[in-house]
Parts: sequence; C-alpha cells; structure tokens
Amino acid sequence: MIEFKGVYKTYDTGIEALKDVNIHIDKGEFVFIVGASGAGKSTFLKLIMREEVPTAGEVIINDFRLSKLKRRQIPYLRRTMGIVFQDFRLINKMTVFDNVAFAMRVTGASSREVRKRVPYILGLVGLQNKARSFPLELSGGEQQRVGLARALVNNPSLIIADEPTGNIDPELSYEIVELLNEINRRGTTILMVTHEHDLVKQFDRRVIEIRDGCVISDSLNKEGGHEIQ
Amino acid sequence: MRFSSIRYLIREGFRNIWQNRFMAIASIGVLMSCLLITGGACLVFLNIDHAFDLIYDQNVVAVFVKEDQTDEQVQELGQQIQSITNVGTVTFISKEESLQKYAESIPEATFESLQGENNPLLDSFIVSFEDLAQFDSTLMQIEALPGVDSTNYDGNIAEMLTKVRHVVIVVGGWVVGLLLIVSLFIIANTIKLTVYNRRLEIYIMKSVGATNGFIRVPFVIEGMVLGLLSGALSYGIIYYVYQKVTEMFRFSAMFGLVSFSKIWWIMLTGFLVAGTLIGIFGSAISMSKYLKDEGGITSE
Repeated sequence: MIEFKGVYKTYDTGIEALKDVNIHIDKGEFVFIVGASGAGKSTFLKLIMREEVPTAGEVIINDFRLSKLKRRQIPYLRRTMGIVFQDFRLINKMTVFDNVAFAMRVTGASSREVRKRVPYILGLVGLQNKARSFPLELSGGEQQRVGLARALVNNPSLIIADEPTGNIDPELSYEIVELLNEINRRGTTILMVTHEHDLVKQFDRRVIEIRDGCVISDSLNKEGGHEIQ
Repeated sequence: MRFSSIRYLIREGFRNIWQNRFMAIASIGVLMSCLLITGGACLVFLNIDHAFDLIYDQNVVAVFVKEDQTDEQVQELGQQIQSITNVGTVTFISKEESLQKYAESIPEATFESLQGENNPLLDSFIVSFEDLAQFDSTLMQIEALPGVDSTNYDGNIAEMLTKVRHVVIVVGGWVVGLLLIVSLFIIANTIKLTVYNRRLEIYIMKSVGATNGFIRVPFVIEGMVLGLLSGALSYGIIYYVYQKVTEMFRFSAMFGLVSFSKIWWIMLTGFLVAGTLIGIFGSAISMSKYLKDEGGITSE
C-alpha cells in the first residue's frame, strides 16, 4: 500500500520537484507512472524508497510511516519492496544465480533457503537454464529478467520498476511488462515508471501522470484518461 | 546474526579479495611500501640507539686509589662505589695487574726494577655508568669518597653523546610518526578507490534492504586480511634484507647491528598489528560515506 498525503519536495537547490501530491495505491494494484523527464517521477520513487524525505506531507509505504522511520529501520522498509532498474544494475562478475542469491544473502537468508528459492524465482522469470551464465552473456531482455528475479526473491509486497524497458528492444519490452502483469496476478503491487505511451496503452491499467511536480491525471482503467491537454 | 550468515560474510570477504584481486594486489603493495618504509626507519633508529649503547658500554672511568690505603680500606671503597646509584659495574685492578699490561712494551730490566715497592702505579677501579646523563653528578660522588686519589675521565664526551642521542630519538620519533601519517593517508585513498569501484554492489545491497552492519562486514574482513598479508610479507622482506645487511656489517667491530633474534617479535607484532588495524579502520572509514548516504539507489 502506498499513500502520499499532501507531499511537497523542494531540494536544497530550490527546485520544487513535487507539489501537493496526494496518491493512494492499494495492495495488489498495477499502476503506471508516466511523465516527461524532470516531471518529478524520480523524486516520487525516491520518497517511496526513503532515499529522500518530503519537505512537507506524509508518505506511508506498506504500513511504514516514513516520517517516523528511524535510519536503522530503512533496511526493513526496503525489504518489503523490490526494485527494478532501467540499467539492470547487475553485478557482472557474478553469475545469474549469484546475482539473485546475493539479494537474499545480504538480508540474512540461510544458504538452504537460497538454494531452494533462487531456482524457483529463476523459473518464474523463465531463466532456469541461465543460472550459470554471466549477465554480459545475456540479452538486454534476459538481463532485465534477472533484475526482476532479484527484485522478487525476497518476496516483497511491492515491486517498483523504474523505466524497466528503457534499455531493451521494444519487442522484448512487452514481455517484461507481461511478466510484471503475471507477478501482479499473484498479488504483488506493481509500480512501473515509464514514458513509453504505446506500452501503457497495450495494458489496460491505472495510469498516474505527473507533470511539473503535480499529479495531473489519475485514471483508474479509464481509457485515454491519462492524456490531458 | 545467524551462524550461516557469519560464515557467508567471511566467505564473501575472501571472495571479494579474489574478485578484486588487482585492486587487492595494489592495496597490499601500497600497504607494504608504507610498512617497509616505516619499519625500515624504525630499524635504522633502533640501530643508531644500539650503537650508542655500545659506546656507553665502553664508557668506563678509572678511579685511582690513594697509595696509603690498606687492603681493607680498598675493599670498602669498592663497596662504597658500587652502592652509588647509577654505577653499573665495578672492577678492581691492582697496581700489579696494571703494571703487567706494560710488560711487553718496556724493557725487561726496567719492568723488573718496577716490581713490588717500586711500582709507580696505583690500584684502581674500572667503573661503568648506567645513565650517562647523570655522569657529572655520579663522578662527583665518587671523587668525594675518602681514599679516592683521582679519576681519568673527560665528562664532556659523555655530555655530548647524551645530547646527540636525545636528538636522534626525537628526530627518529618524528620521522617514523610522519611516515605513519603519510602511510595512513595513502592507504585510506587506496581503499577509498576500491570501495568506489564497488559502489554498485553497495547500492544494490542497500536497495534490497541489507543493514549497514551486513554491508560493512565483508569489506572489513577484506581489509583485515589484506592488512595481515601485507604485515606478514613486509616482515619477510625486512627479515631477509636485515640478514643481508647484518652480514655486510659483520666485520665492523665499531658498528655491530642489533641482532634480529632480539627484535623479531617486536617487528612481527608491529607489522601484523599495524597492517591489520590499518586494513580494518581504512575499510570501515572509507565505507562510511557510502553507508551514510541513503540515496544512490535510483541514481548515482
């Protein structure tokens, strides 16, 4: 569950990144966040991940009230979410298996849990045969699926995908979003930032558009609702 | 923390070293250079100090006994000298023994004529001092004793030696201290570079919710292992080089070097402890910047 209540964010440089943002996203929803670069999408994500704190307002993520969150509690907030990056952020000297296992190990999972869970997750994203490959031996689409597997492995209730299709071929982009769709069907909340309108149109989902730091449109499955003149 | 996690973190530390082996070799190289330079400087000053010790040991004074003293009085005088603080060893040399030293350098007839009653020499005590800094006052105490005829020492030399030694200790301390600081600076920067190279890993760990402690441990273990290795290697090199240098100086009576067997454990612990501490703290400090920053997940 994601809730923004009257959130403002002004950076030290004076840039007003977000202005009076009010959003409520329920558990199990699939939401596209769209907007031009510089519109405030990144700040929106940073606030969710508690990389930044709002200048005013309150952010509540998966029952964590972020304004009350102590520094040492941040890791536990982040364990409730999985993050997929535009540039994959894989460790190239680790195998696919290790990249995914790494995310489990560093949160304290035992090697037995890792051995059981990682193959299952790799199977879920269709990479069961690539466990021993290194990221650079894979296509962009496959690399992003490793990224997705890593985001999923700790069983988060929320997946944040920051332009997950930005670095891969358009025909493979569809597959990635389809995969996110599948994950969503199993009950995980999906928040996907993108500027690919075609992709958004193909999937009939809630779309929130941010422009100049404000939410200018929030459509719950209403076709074309995200397009505001 | 679970046992399986601890095992994982330790293994991770070692794996990091292997995966970043070129950076590891660079770090070991830098750390070793610093340890060797500092350790070498220590050895040089240690030897200079040792040389002073040798000179001090030869620093003896002959205390001559008045001619009219009885054997008992002479014996008592010896005890009195010995009881003065700062006096090291006291050796009695009778006038007969003293004369004997000249046996070969003077004609036999003359030597014979000087035996017994005609012996012009005096009984004496050869006295060594523990601390040359108090040379003057100790000598005055000896000269004030009844039965002492005279002494034969130039106190200026002792005073000068003490001053020089003091300067050497102060300069040595500064040089070694400065080298240590420079070393720390270089090492901190090297480690910073290795941490910078791995910021992606750190960011990923943060993004999946690893605690700072968990992120730090493998780096600290890595630093510790690299430090220990550098310390051990430096010790090996110093040992080898020192042996060679000692051989070179073996025939120089004046300047015998401190035997390595006397200082090996100081050097070994020094190197291992310094290397390990620098490794651990270097890693921990260099990392804190990345750990404090809660950002860097979505953008670098």
